[in-house]
Amino acid sequence: MSMYLNTIVVLFTGIGWIFFLGATVGILRFPDFYTRMHAAGKGDTLSTMMILFGFAAYQLHHPDLASLLVAFKIVFIAVLIFITGPTATHAIMDAGYGSKIDHWGTRDGSVSHCLIKEDERS
Amino acid sequence: MKIIALLVSVALGVILLVATNDLPEWGDPQSPASTHLSRYYIENSMEQTSVPNFVTAVLADYRGYDTMFETAVIFCAGITVLTILRRSHRRKKKDVQPRPCREGQDIILKSAARLIAPMMQLFALYVLAHGHHSPGGGFQGGVISGASFILLSIAYDLEMLLSRLKERTIMFFSGLGVLIYAGIGAICLLLGGNFLNYSSWSKILQVSEVEARSHGMLGIEIGVFITVTFIMISLYADLASGGEMDEGL
Repeated sequence: MSMYLNTIVVLFTGIGWIFFLGATVGILRFPDFYTRMHAAGKGDTLSTMMILFGFAAYQLHHPDLASLLVAFKIVFIAVLIFITGPTATHAIMDAGYGSKIDHWGTRDGSVSHCLIKEDERS
Repeated sequence: MKIIALLVSVALGVILLVATNDLPEWGDPQSPASTHLSRYYIENSMEQTSVPNFVTAVLADYRGYDTMFETAVIFCAGITVLTILRRSHRRKKKDVQPRPCREGQDIILKSAARLIAPMMQLFALYVLAHGHHSPGGGFQGGVISGASFILLSIAYDLEMLLSRLKERTIMFFSGLGVLIYAGIGAICLLLGGNFLNYSSWSKILQVSEVEARSHGMLGIEIGVFITVTFIMISLYADLASGGEMDEGL
């Protein structure tokens, strides 16, 4: 029983770590503001939720009332992140769009050109 | 004038730095604080106040004066910001800085804020009420509760918040919190005890003196909670709108 539960915990947390890694690489490597925010928003929310679900599952090793309460609180945090994370990403994106930040690839249409420009700007 | 102020603060800083030489070492087990004071609190706070979290017991009971004036300091800070920044609409035309202003309200932000704000307020009350058993209390709960109102005013706008919650109401409640704190202490005097010695409340509450101290702490935490909440709202409203209370962020 405990073996299966541990497998679930490791699976959830492992998937969370992988998504976290993806989000980090995305923030560092994506070419412009919008794609970077996309990576940060999507990857961060999902990976945090996965890791939290893993932690909540770990609490079920001793299924008494106290650890169930802890598991419930962790799931509650996951719900909060599910609501707030994408909303915050949306708000930042909206602010960026409002202050007219350029898209990737909109100038002259060519991708490599924009990448060079991005490098020159920094 | 600025040079005089600089000289005074540098001199004071040097004095304070020199005085740190006389302080005991960091974490020194032989220092008076560690040998007498901490041990006293750790050993006696549970049976004297029946509060498991003795940080709360020290903060709200043994050092109640300190916390009362901390609350008063927060109140004064709110009043000061209000005095410096708040301008009436008559004088406003002259030197208005252009501020970034959002046109239109975002349905996603509004819905999320409507979902989150009640949860935050509920959690703030939980933090307030659970201060006797876990980290928390009036200051922390008050900040969370104030933040929920600030969230609403960011997602909608400042006018919406101020139409529901008049400035007069905000300032009334900020003062009320300090009054509750000091009033609980003053009633102790009337009941024949010392100021802020909650055990004399046992005559009114019909409980033992130890229980009365626990309840008294909850009472003053509620006072702190109210003051911190409304001073947070007042600070945000003043700072975000440059004292004009019109649009804000």
